[in-house]
Amino acid sequence: MLKSAFTPIYWVLSPKPKSPKISQHFITNTFSNSTPHVRQNSSSKQNLTITPSSAYIHLPFCRKRCHYCDFPIVALGSASTQTHDDPRVINYIQWLCREINATKVEENLDSETPLQTVFFGGGTPSLVPPSMVSSVLETLKMKFGLSESAEISMEMDPGTFDYRKMQDMMLLGVNRVSLGVQAFQEKLLKSCGRAHGLEEVHEAIDIVKKCGVENWSIDLIASLPHQTSDMWEESLRLAIEAQPTHVSVYDLQIEQGTKFGRLYAPGEFPLPSETQSADFYKMASRMLCDASYNHYEISSYCKKGYECRHNFTYWKNKPFYAFGLGSTSFVGGLRFARPRKLNEYMKFVENLENGSVNSSSDDDVNTKDTALDVVMLSLRTARGLDLKRFQESFGSSLVYSLFEVYKPYVESGHMVFLDVQRRAIRIEDINNSLLYDINSERRVAYMRLSDPNGFLLSNELIALAFGVIDSWKDYPSALQEAT
Amino acid sequence: MGYLRKASKTLNQSNCISLLFNFNFNLTPLTSRITHQRFSLTRALFCTQSRQNSTKEKPIIDLSQYPPELVRNFSIIAHVDHGKSTLADRLLELTGTIKKGLGQPQYLDKLQVERERGITVKAQTATMFYKNIINGVDCSDGKEPHNYLLNLIDTPGHVDFSYEVSRSLAACQGVLLVVDAAQGVQAQTVANFYLAFESNLSIIPVINKIDQPTADPDRVKSQLKSMFDLDPSDALLTSAKTGMGLEHVLPAVIERIPPPPGKSDSSLRMLLLDSYFDEYRGVICHVAVVDGALRKGDKISSAATGKSYEALDIGIMHPELTPTGILFTGQVGYVISGMRSTKEARIGDTIYHSRSAMDMEPLPGFKAAKHMVFSGLFPADGSDFELLNHAIEKLTCNDASVSVAKETSTALGLGFRCGFLGLLHMDVFHQRLEQEYGAHIISTVPTVPYIYEYADGSKLEVQNPAALPSNPKQRVVACWEPTVIATIVIPSEYVGAVITLVSERRGEQLEYSFIDSQRVFMKYRLPLREIVIDFYNELKSITSGYASFDYEDSDYQASDLVKLDILLNGQPVDAMATIVHNSKAYRVGRELVEKLKKVIDRQMFEISVQAAIGSKIIARETITAMRKNVLAKCYGGDITRKRKLLEKQKEGKKRMKRVGSVDIPQEAFHELLKVS
Repeated sequence: MLKSAFTPIYWVLSPKPKSPKISQHFITNTFSNSTPHVRQNSSSKQNLTITPSSAYIHLPFCRKRCHYCDFPIVALGSASTQTHDDPRVINYIQWLCREINATKVEENLDSETPLQTVFFGGGTPSLVPPSMVSSVLETLKMKFGLSESAEISMEMDPGTFDYRKMQDMMLLGVNRVSLGVQAFQEKLLKSCGRAHGLEEVHEAIDIVKKCGVENWSIDLIASLPHQTSDMWEESLRLAIEAQPTHVSVYDLQIEQGTKFGRLYAPGEFPLPSETQSADFYKMASRMLCDASYNHYEISSYCKKGYECRHNFTYWKNKPFYAFGLGSTSFVGGLRFARPRKLNEYMKFVENLENGSVNSSSDDDVNTKDTALDVVMLSLRTARGLDLKRFQESFGSSLVYSLFEVYKPYVESGHMVFLDVQRRAIRIEDINNSLLYDINSERRVAYMRLSDPNGFLLSNELIALAFGVIDSWKDYPSALQEAT
Repeated sequence: MGYLRKASKTLNQSNCISLLFNFNFNLTPLTSRITHQRFSLTRALFCTQSRQNSTKEKPIIDLSQYPPELVRNFSIIAHVDHGKSTLADRLLELTGTIKKGLGQPQYLDKLQVERERGITVKAQTATMFYKNIINGVDCSDGKEPHNYLLNLIDTPGHVDFSYEVSRSLAACQGVLLVVDAAQGVQAQTVANFYLAFESNLSIIPVINKIDQPTADPDRVKSQLKSMFDLDPSDALLTSAKTGMGLEHVLPAVIERIPPPPGKSDSSLRMLLLDSYFDEYRGVICHVAVVDGALRKGDKISSAATGKSYEALDIGIMHPELTPTGILFTGQVGYVISGMRSTKEARIGDTIYHSRSAMDMEPLPGFKAAKHMVFSGLFPADGSDFELLNHAIEKLTCNDASVSVAKETSTALGLGFRCGFLGLLHMDVFHQRLEQEYGAHIISTVPTVPYIYEYADGSKLEVQNPAALPSNPKQRVVACWEPTVIATIVIPSEYVGAVITLVSERRGEQLEYSFIDSQRVFMKYRLPLREIVIDFYNELKSITSGYASFDYEDSDYQASDLVKLDILLNGQPVDAMATIVHNSKAYRVGRELVEKLKKVIDRQMFEISVQAAIGSKIIARETITAMRKNVLAKCYGGDITRKRKLLEKQKEGKKRMKRVGSVDIPQEAFHELLKVS
């Protein structure tokens, strides 16, 4: 009972003590600007589960495995550029559709929202023939509905599609392309085991542009082995010259079990040093921002209005479906990872069909876990953590703790506190108590990592918040909607 | 006791401790027997065994048959590993005090109980009965052989407990000085000899392990002659292992050691030798009755505390608690008197009958335990304070010789400043906290008690460098540090190396002599601080393990001491402050900052690590800022992996201690211990 005294406005305690749980709709509400405040629309039980409006589809086929890759993929062989008659692909697509069909959907009025985003990831989805992509989209449409204005993204690799295939995909509704260029140097492409060369990169860019794909991204990898500062600058320059609406800059992670993992240690030659690698990150941020791309997430840049809507589902901690080998869905508060091996995946689909497994959950979600996810995901974005919403969900004590832990990092230039108008609060004012008064006009409304210094140390900074949440004591033990 | 004996055997300061514990907990067949018997000697199974003893219809031993003339109180002293414990076991077996042979399941059970109770680092006593059938001088003129009551008062061998050793020796009239026939006289032999010699005890030299192929008893005899002026013909030759020569030991005890000199007709005076805490029976005191007699039900008082008690249970250790209801002059046994804590039972205290307490003169030699080494103990995880508190409370219940005071450190939070008798004592205490009570601790660099004198005449004893003002208001006019007299015995080829080491440690040579053609005996005065950390290890390593070393506390000497502060980003870390000799401050400061640079991880901002004397920076290192730690990779919505990684990182941070904005890993504190 004591606990209710701390945050009486926002919380109603469950009549019976339960383990720390938070009901589903609080989670997303922390982010969604459009949805009215929890307390006003939380009168019906149905609201407890928000139906996902995004779906991730894993198409695992690749010609060969890249040296850095530890994704669940199926390597078809380097010769396989056309796969319409490959039984492995046909077979997989069938299982995939069976999985979609076997997925439980909440039968309620509110769930009639059709899918708003679909993301074909891989693997190399562009290896899959359009006819099969079509059947997947049809299955999704039948099952969940698909909005007219849905964003349908597809990861496409140079050398796996031609003009015709691109057009076919567009006819099916694919309206966003994420082009896996990775580097603009023949040598680097080869040394990281890409199945394509530089020529295919230029061809692919031409095709995408010629087909008139309006919303497309070039994906680059920084800190590849033997990559020099000049090479990286060149890659960034050529990417900018191609004028995509979006650029993703991923940082090479050396994963165990990959070829790179066996060959290289992070920070050691031929991988760039930590300092060089940090410089690459800064160079990307500077050059892309100079070319008027917004650095809207740690590894994502876009022209105004071309943010990847699908990825925002993740960053806003909203639920999403996922289908296919090794993919992870987030439905009913449960992060569910599918088997990464094909035969186990097929067994899983069978079990899903006969009802012996369930990939979603209608349990309440652990409050602390949710707070961790919200902090981790939102701090990856330039928008940062919306403190008003965060406080509404998790109480003011946690917000104050975050202020305390991050204040020194505002002074050191790693964090930025923003006011209601998203103006950065000056360091000189950082100790002004007015900033921390919820009702003050000048209050801190958002906190974000600075670009690029804060983003560069995001793991460190987010881990600080984890420490705060970990020792958070007075979280509401259980929540339920006001009646 | 078995514990301590092993401790003294290994002497090897801190890094031998784990070995010690292996010894106690994983008994190897070879040593287990000794330990079992030790344990039975030691704490005697208060709840199970002793109760059985008291309830079983056992004939009560009539102690009145043993007037002082038929009592001998003796101790065995030896260098580590010279066979002291095996000899003690053999004597106990020989007299039927303990059963010969192993494999009795009770022994293991006892050990289990012992483990649960914890082991004690204490002196021990055992009473033996022995019929002297050798045709000695007394018997030759037709007298019947007598039954003798022999009290073996065992002493901790290690120098840390020399205070207890001298207390134990105070209850003896003689000692068996055991020397290994192959190794000859070693440092601890010398130190122990002088303790006994100064107490005017009869000394029976026992050259042990004569069954070894390398045994050279004649050489040892001549060493005993030249070092201690002991008559070679007095030496007994034994092998406690094979039993060779043992039959001469107890007759020699009876013949050569005088009976206790106390007055039977005078009022009770008894010496408190040791005490233990038993959960069921409270404090059990080991006592030696010097004058008079103690009977069950007597009202007794302590000279040191003035508190009064009733002697609820009295008996002898034979080898476990064996009630006799009475103890006569010269006898050694136990008293249970309803004391609540071992803190009330001060070793060396005199106990009288309450009725005569007013007129009595206490026995000489009582002083409070002197704490020579201090260190701060902090819970490794701040939230474990209560656990540590509880563990320390329990542990000090059985080891009142540790002083405990609460301490607050800005770096390490709430903790304790503990005073120990010496280094081994400290290590044992640390280890027992961790192993027996599961307390994870960070220990600060051990320090010795310095004395500072200020211009206004005030003096400050500094047990904690952090408590010494870095920029005092009053001018310091003098400082003193405790010294020890160290005895070092080494093969002569190592003399050069050892002299270099000792002079680096500010040693002053007092004596230098040859024990024989190959062995050198040296005496040094050394500042205690210089041997606190790694002296013995260093000595061992430069002499390929051949050096033996012992020390005893000596006077304070004036010294040029400075306080060395460690600053992280300009902020002093109280738990890292040390007091060092001015001549070494620069070197130590340099070493400390270099070490810290290695163990402190790079953080989000640059960290300066500085060593300072007052406001003067004498060493500086910079830990550059971390450049990059980011996961810029998008896993098809699988954030679980990212989160796990971040949670791992958070856990890592949690184990850090924070000073200002700098996270200090716990290892940093351990590493500092290695810099002298």
